Amino acid sequence: MSLKHDIEFTLNGVKRRVSVDVTMNALAMLRDVIGLTGTKYGCGEGECGACTIQVDGASLNSCLMFAVDCDGRNVTTIEGLANDGRADALLDAFVEHGAVQCGFCTPGMVMQADHLLHKHPHPDEACVKRGIEGNLCRCTGYKKIVDAIVAADGV
Amino acid sequence: MNVAEKKPRIIQPDSLIGKRIQKMDAPEKASGRTRYIHDINLSGQLYGKILRSARIHALIKSIDTTAAKALPGVHVVITAADIPDQRPIGVAKDHFPLKVGRVRSERDEIAAVAAESEEIAEAALKLIKVEYEDLPVIGNPEDAIKPGAALIHPEPHGADGSHMHLKQGTSIAHKGKPDNIAMRFDYAHGDVVQGEAESDVVIEDTFRLHYVTHCCMGVSGMIAEFDASGNLLMYSNTQVPFLHKREFAEYLNMDPARIRIIQPPIGGGFGSKLDIYPFEVICLYLARAAKRPVKMLFTREEEFLASPTRQPVLLTLRSGCKKDGTLTFRQVHTLHDNGAYTSWGATTPFVMMQTFSSLYRVPHCDYHTAAVYTNNPYAGSFRGYGNLQATFAIEQHMDMLAEKIGMDPLEFRMKNAQDASEVTGQGMSFKSCGFKECITTAATRSDYSRKFRENAANRNQPGNIKRGIGMASMLHVGGGAKIYPSDGCGTILKMDDFANVTLITGASEIGQGSETVLSQLVCEELGLPISAVTVVNNDTAITPWDVGVHASRTTFIAGNSAIGAAKKAKAKILAVAAKKYEAAESDLDLRGGFVIKADSGEAIVELSKLLRNLHFQDKAELVMTTFYYEPPSVHQDKGFKGDVSAAYAWGTQVVEVEVDTDTGFTRLVKVTGAHDVGRVLNRLGIEGQIEGGIVMGQGYAFTEDLMIENGVMKNPNFRDYKLVTAPEIPEMDIAFIESMDGEGPQGAKGVGEAPSICMAAAAANAIANATGVRMFELPFTPEKVYRALHGQTPKLYWKPWRAE
Amino acid sequence: MTELKHYFAPTSLDQAVECLKDGDVTILAGGTDLTPQSQAGRIKIKHTLMNVRHIPQLSGITLEGKEIRIGALATITEIMEHPLVREHLPVLVEACDHFASDQIRNAGTIGGNICNASPAGDTLIPLLVLDAWELASMPEAKLYRHCMPLSTFFVGPGKTRKSLCELVTCVRIPVPAENHVARFYKHGTRPALDISTISIGVAGTLKDGILSNVRVAFGAVAPTPVRASQTEQALEGQRLDAATIDKVAAVARDEVKPIDDVRATAWYRKEMIHNITKRILSHVAQA
Repeated sequence: MSLKHDIEFTLNGVKRRVSVDVTMNALAMLRDVIGLTGTKYGCGEGECGACTIQVDGASLNSCLMFAVDCDGRNVTTIEGLANDGRADALLDAFVEHGAVQCGFCTPGMVMQADHLLHKHPHPDEACVKRGIEGNLCRCTGYKKIVDAIVAADGV
Repeated sequence: MNVAEKKPRIIQPDSLIGKRIQKMDAPEKASGRTRYIHDINLSGQLYGKILRSARIHALIKSIDTTAAKALPGVHVVITAADIPDQRPIGVAKDHFPLKVGRVRSERDEIAAVAAESEEIAEAALKLIKVEYEDLPVIGNPEDAIKPGAALIHPEPHGADGSHMHLKQGTSIAHKGKPDNIAMRFDYAHGDVVQGEAESDVVIEDTFRLHYVTHCCMGVSGMIAEFDASGNLLMYSNTQVPFLHKREFAEYLNMDPARIRIIQPPIGGGFGSKLDIYPFEVICLYLARAAKRPVKMLFTREEEFLASPTRQPVLLTLRSGCKKDGTLTFRQVHTLHDNGAYTSWGATTPFVMMQTFSSLYRVPHCDYHTAAVYTNNPYAGSFRGYGNLQATFAIEQHMDMLAEKIGMDPLEFRMKNAQDASEVTGQGMSFKSCGFKECITTAATRSDYSRKFRENAANRNQPGNIKRGIGMASMLHVGGGAKIYPSDGCGTILKMDDFANVTLITGASEIGQGSETVLSQLVCEELGLPISAVTVVNNDTAITPWDVGVHASRTTFIAGNSAIGAAKKAKAKILAVAAKKYEAAESDLDLRGGFVIKADSGEAIVELSKLLRNLHFQDKAELVMTTFYYEPPSVHQDKGFKGDVSAAYAWGTQVVEVEVDTDTGFTRLVKVTGAHDVGRVLNRLGIEGQIEGGIVMGQGYAFTEDLMIENGVMKNPNFRDYKLVTAPEIPEMDIAFIESMDGEGPQGAKGVGEAPSICMAAAAANAIANATGVRMFELPFTPEKVYRALHGQTPKLYWKPWRAE
Repeated sequence: MTELKHYFAPTSLDQAVECLKDGDVTILAGGTDLTPQSQAGRIKIKHTLMNVRHIPQLSGITLEGKEIRIGALATITEIMEHPLVREHLPVLVEACDHFASDQIRNAGTIGGNICNASPAGDTLIPLLVLDAWELASMPEAKLYRHCMPLSTFFVGPGKTRKSLCELVTCVRIPVPAENHVARFYKHGTRPALDISTISIGVAGTLKDGILSNVRVAFGAVAPTPVRASQTEQALEGQRLDAATIDKVAAVARDEVKPIDDVRATAWYRKEMIHNITKRILSHVAQA
């Protein structure tokens, strides 16, 4: 049987305790143990960004993080961001600008965009494109995603 | 008693057509609430995993599943031996889901496990012992047609070595073949011998089109559950649910009425889900054997290894023209690598023929394809479906012919581009045709002619950065494609007591925005806001038949179907209103949620009120209508001739590049596109389709390369298979030509595949303009371009060959 | 299934080195490399998984005398945004900017990068031309027991001289003197999220058009990132005129012995080493 470890961390503003397999990655913990399926599996190797979450105020790929490493930290997933209200302008911009087609890459994009806008509140197109270079999209060709993020602005 | 006369309320005309309409499911998707197949879990489900071959081409001597079966948590382990009534699947019925006796490629499925968790299932796979006896590997189609080549699907022989003769109509999987030719296509119109005789210039070149793959962001998956009565419920991302229902019924020996397919929102399609693949049937076998729901999801690596690819093509094109610029003939031979089993890739000649015969006016055309078995992955259908490959060759030859006769490449194209009401040699009737306008619009907006001249003049000047501009156009079906017995789509429409519409359509939504467009069309007919419509489109138990999402047909055919149902509803409503308000039906209309006087816009009654009155009167009635739309296209005859689509669409793209001759790195700077779409319906949606298609075409031209060597995939991951990332996208200037197709819904034509089709061709022309060097192979990676610039790339030549 | 029996997250360096005594420990820092590799089965996690992210001595970026000390846990983002690095080590900022993606930069650590020892490691090339040293702690000693110039630290793809009982604690980089110039170039198709086809780092003291104290490092052309000694010799003390630059570029091309792989062929890599060395030196000359 695999080694388990208990961790305690804040998830979307709520403190909680979870028992996880030590070898499990954070993505699997979020999806399979906790049941939050908004964060997506795209590749499991950090090459596509579909699994992007925010930890202690920075965006990172949850597939590249050990679940146990969430201990004591502040984790936000798309569910938390969407319910928060602080990202409403960003989510609205995605919808208004047609930045969503199949939508599979969208949660990861939104998480990364939110982080980007916190660091660079008024990014230009070039800054946005570099900022989302770790997020793959196969449907939109990125143009409307970039437009949405520039329009959302870090108000 | 007289109340002051109420001032008549005037409803101003307003149209949804051409507006920017937000995708209806976007808010849910953006907030992570959408549940894709990966996010759906049935209680009591098991997890299915497939053991794939460790060899490329080998006999299976034995499979030992004892240890796997004994692992705690494993419910079922199956191999072909456990499914004696297994039937072959696929376009040529040459493909057993669980392999029998022999493996023919890296992706071949040997065994499958259903277990309590994914980890246990994977551990069980490792415990399955397989013994193989290697057979010679055929890694390319040229080797497969050599005399004495190993046969991939040999004919069966008896124990005494004698040839077994099986019944007529036995599938290839049982019958085998005496050679490696999976399919052949031969087409001709006119007489190429005469065409060549009339030519002043003849050129012949070989082009090689490579393997790329769909890379949908959501990996493949399926959930299957048999209920207590043996009815089957499948969650599947198929793009053709009704065709699949019928086929799965065959494979399971079931009544199709007992199969229900629910389509969860899809994480990308692009044509990858148009065939039935082994993993789907295997998942059903597991569910049947385990008597529990089984969920099967691919890993990304498995997605690369086991999904169909785009059809790789080796082709030699011979083209001619007169010195006055008239095209005379095209003769083309292609060798299609069919892989180990036949899927839709083998049928790309249907589309390729259309391009060779009818993109520009071609008096004489001769086309031959041999699709040949190898031990490589098989190809399926992929956005553009052979048209990218054909256009790559044709549009380079257009530039090369123009150059040979000393004619301006733009003028050369305009001379040979067709006009409306022309009928091509293949019998395609161009009722609406915006071809020339596409060319001139793209050329003017990009300042093509001036840049073309300046870049050519700059070629030998000092400086390592060379600019290039290149043009290519495409022709594709825009009104469906009559390849199945029906190319139709059914709609059921109902209205409730509050003038809300439920639109039940057979057409699937695969992320392209069909839901939103269909709602838009219905609202336009009924004068309602887009928020009034709910679309139901994902359950075969409820929705009427549609052949599927392919051939850029959904807006056209499902659109016309939805309009048909809406028109019927409108007619009924106006008939009721006419009677009630003593007016003539033709004097009335629907607008802004009201029944109005057509001439003045004066509101007569709120629509919802009228509907409630209709419902709650003595002779109660609801507004419910149905419509099945079959486009007025025809099946092609045995010579592949016929007006196979109800409409055709064109697009021209002008591509600008910067080539760094020190490194070969070629930056895609700008794409100027002009697309004949008939009519723009949802402007936001159509822009998204074009932009996405351009970037997909960019990947095909510059960055994506699925490297397969002797049947082994070298880069089944995103690290080394390069999708285009955000910083790499070009500037895009897109114009829409609205040729207003008579048959199309509100005049619209299909556009889903169009924007990917000419990118590679235009890019090749741009690189030639920049450097004077022609690229006959894809992709244009820095190393490939650098090698070409330094004369390190031997000129490709494949001697035209056709099957006997 | 792993042999993993024990998970430990020490909060001090002493605790960590004590745990490393028997050497059967897999170290977890940023996780950007260990997580996918272990999930894919390419790395087997040992008896103990030790999460070092809570050890205070491993973080921070400080100026200590004439050296900049970058803690092993400094993330790539922290490094490229830190004022000390931006002021004194712009070539390292340049390399960090081309590293993977924002998400990976936010989590990946310099210590992890160094120990991962990728032949194409982007951050490793500037560290080599900046004469960086790695420092590690071992169980038998209290503080910095082991320090080594980074140029001798790498021995093969994924292999370093670090023993199983050592924990890399920081990297120390001498603050470059006046007239120091340094350049980094990564060749690939994308700005980042790309394993380089080749990468080049060049540094030295430029005075009156002459380059001295030359350091040249190449990535993705050998089993490890390497200092190019022949190229350095050809460049040392030379005036950066067109003839010299041509000659040095040719030496560089001949010095490297790359392989063919899925990303590029050896021939192309050699061509790029030549062309880009030439380009970099021309830019330095014009500086």
